[in-house]
Amino acid sequence: MLQPGNRKTKRNAALLTVSKFGTIIGMAIMILSFSVAVPAIFPTFRNMVNVANQATLSAIISGGLTVALIIGEMDLSIANVASFAGVLVTGLMVQSRWPVGLAIAAVVAVSAAIGVANGLIITKLKVNSVVATLGTGSIVVGLNYAYAQGVPIASGLPESFKQLAFGKVLGIPDNIAIMIAVLFALWVFINHTEWGVQLRATGGNPAAARLSGIRVDRIKVLGMSIASICASVTGILLASLIGSGTSAAADGYLMPAFAAVFLGSATLRDGDFHIVGTLIGVFFIGVGFNGLAIFGVPTFVQYFFRGGILVLAVGLSSVARSLATK
Amino acid sequence: MLGISGLSKSFGGVQALKDVDLEVRSGEVHGLIGPNGAGKSTLIKILSGDIAKDSGEIFLEGAPVVIHRPQDAYRLGFSFIHQELNLIPKFSIIENLTLGQKKASRFGLIDWKAVKRDARGAVERIGLSYPLDTPVAELSVAERWLVSIAHALMRRIKVISMDEPTASLSSEESERLFKVVRELTAEGVSVLYVSHRLDEILSLCDGISVFKDGSCVLTTDRRSATRQSLVEAIVGGKAGEAELRLLDDVDRRPIVLETKDLSKGDRVLNVSLALHAGEVLGLGGLVGSGRTELAGLLFGIDRPDSGRIILDGEEFEPRSPSDAIGRGVGLVPEERRSQGLILKDSVEFNLNLTNLKPLRIRKFLCLLSARASARIARAVVKRLMIKAPSIQSPVVTLSGGNQQKVVIGKWLSRKLKVFILDEPSRGVDVGARAEIHAKIRELAGEGAGIIVISSDNEELPRVCDTVAVMSEGRVVGTLRGAEITKEAILYKSFEHAAP
Repeated sequence: MLQPGNRKTKRNAALLTVSKFGTIIGMAIMILSFSVAVPAIFPTFRNMVNVANQATLSAIISGGLTVALIIGEMDLSIANVASFAGVLVTGLMVQSRWPVGLAIAAVVAVSAAIGVANGLIITKLKVNSVVATLGTGSIVVGLNYAYAQGVPIASGLPESFKQLAFGKVLGIPDNIAIMIAVLFALWVFINHTEWGVQLRATGGNPAAARLSGIRVDRIKVLGMSIASICASVTGILLASLIGSGTSAAADGYLMPAFAAVFLGSATLRDGDFHIVGTLIGVFFIGVGFNGLAIFGVPTFVQYFFRGGILVLAVGLSSVARSLATK
Repeated sequence: MLGISGLSKSFGGVQALKDVDLEVRSGEVHGLIGPNGAGKSTLIKILSGDIAKDSGEIFLEGAPVVIHRPQDAYRLGFSFIHQELNLIPKFSIIENLTLGQKKASRFGLIDWKAVKRDARGAVERIGLSYPLDTPVAELSVAERWLVSIAHALMRRIKVISMDEPTASLSSEESERLFKVVRELTAEGVSVLYVSHRLDEILSLCDGISVFKDGSCVLTTDRRSATRQSLVEAIVGGKAGEAELRLLDDVDRRPIVLETKDLSKGDRVLNVSLALHAGEVLGLGGLVGSGRTELAGLLFGIDRPDSGRIILDGEEFEPRSPSDAIGRGVGLVPEERRSQGLILKDSVEFNLNLTNLKPLRIRKFLCLLSARASARIARAVVKRLMIKAPSIQSPVVTLSGGNQQKVVIGKWLSRKLKVFILDEPSRGVDVGARAEIHAKIRELAGEGAGIIVISSDNEELPRVCDTVAVMSEGRVVGTLRGAEITKEAILYKSFEHAAP
């Protein structure tokens, strides 16, 4: 005999399955239809590399954002940190004549410090993370302009810096290799280290985490700095790719990153943020943008796509979460 | 004014109210007393329309009335003030007073001047001296009670119920409240007054009903009631009849934890206790008597204002739970779902949360060994007989008893000197409860000092060697061995309630 409650649970289970694989199915449909529509351009090796190339930068910054969301905080400053990282790294190399490695290390350290500041503002001053990072994001934009007055730093970049985005290791473009390395490191960190467990516990239930002996405040500071560090890596790679440090170069990465992470959280899991999901989300959005660009759709459609995807992604994520707990 | 006859209510198999009769005259303050879970709240909730009665009748001014929903009670002229006041702290007094009521308006906008004029009557009756624009957040708890009463007085009420109004008031503040209550009754309003404080009941209430296990066991009035007769009714029979037995060797064992004059605000006052190795020390008393707060001090959740804690002969000043854990103190918190578990994560994840270091692959590498983690989790699941489909199942899918075992199990893979369990068997079925009690004794047998906080007075006699009874932040009595009976704990918790 089928009980009424039973039928409802079955329906929920079916819905949950759809949402878990929806992103992947959607991506397959997109790839198929783009391939049929523009067979000469879309399904070529060149275009695939192109998609992957663009997705790498997005994937790294989204990976960092995933960590912030795992601990239950938002980070709206990441795109500003990425832009600043691009400007600062080129400035240090061109104007201050720092060696490439040292400049990159310094920029990563500065970004980590911004992340620590975010974390301290959230935990010690108890400012909501949305507001806190909105504020620090604006301050970072200020630092950016104070440092370079908004003038792009392009000429005189060392060759080895340009090679970051264009060189190859074992036949794989450098930046794709860096992306794989960063995301793999994040995946190991989140799933197989003490800190990773503490990050997830803190996001899952801060009160229970604290009573289990986890120093929740420190873990939040750690999570926020990882988000900032990843953002700076994206900013540095972007500067290498476009061959200049430009004030607002990476600002457009914010919304796609949120969309990707939220899409990913509804993918394969029940609304839990996770790295593999984020990667799938990034490629979903990357393929979508690429196809729309090939079709040459008007700009307003691209904005509709961006906004629509973000709302849809967050919606899917929270529906998945509520279905899972029913 | 208010009559109740043959009122009964059961939840599942538990009879929460058994054939209760009650008579409250017009202008009378009627006190309701009894231990937690005796049926007072059930009675109030039936009157307020929050839950439905099984049988029995309710009369108002002689006529039978039907209360199906809270709106029915509202229309009949009932008003209920719960212990957790329904005020919005950021709103001003006047905004709170008129919450949910139609306000005077002009040109479609609220006319605050007219609203204030309308509210003046109610405000004057409670004697509140603040400007009506003051945010409620700036008022003391006592004044908030007055505002809540004024809110009730904004309409014509016949019966007002107050649930432990003085629980967090000083004695002067209480006096002020009593004055308002007496004035209300002078105007013909009947008051249902729930309290644990016998002295207060004896001085304020005209009629008194004592509840025990769902029945109204004694109805009396101020003239004939005495403190002794009320306590005896609450406890059921004469107190202190338990046969004394020789104490065991508790006193000869080493002390693992000692507190000296520990105080925090007005919730923990000069508590001095000693916990011996292998001893199970119960903290008895009513909800809100300061036991959970005391545990919070021992576990580093809060810091004491004064006093000392000595752990294993050394000064102990935990600044965070992680400090306390580092020194070998563990805590099973009161609320397992909100404080004890990461619900969406697996049994294994939750069980290992308190003890991640030993899971490292190498001492200086913070990579965790999945195999070690699963092995430890399986061992705990086996030891506590946790019933779960697998160690990978999310704890949210487990039954209450098994969830509670996970919260306890979190601490088993670690060597503890002191283990504090706050309400370890609340909301747990009988079988799991017995298993939890057996594990508590077993852990004590291994040499840990254990503190059990429980409001279930049958639990403490079963598991404890010693019980300290707390009342209003103080330890008011200590019971040993055979002295520990349900009746003795109840007697102590009521007898020493401060005037």
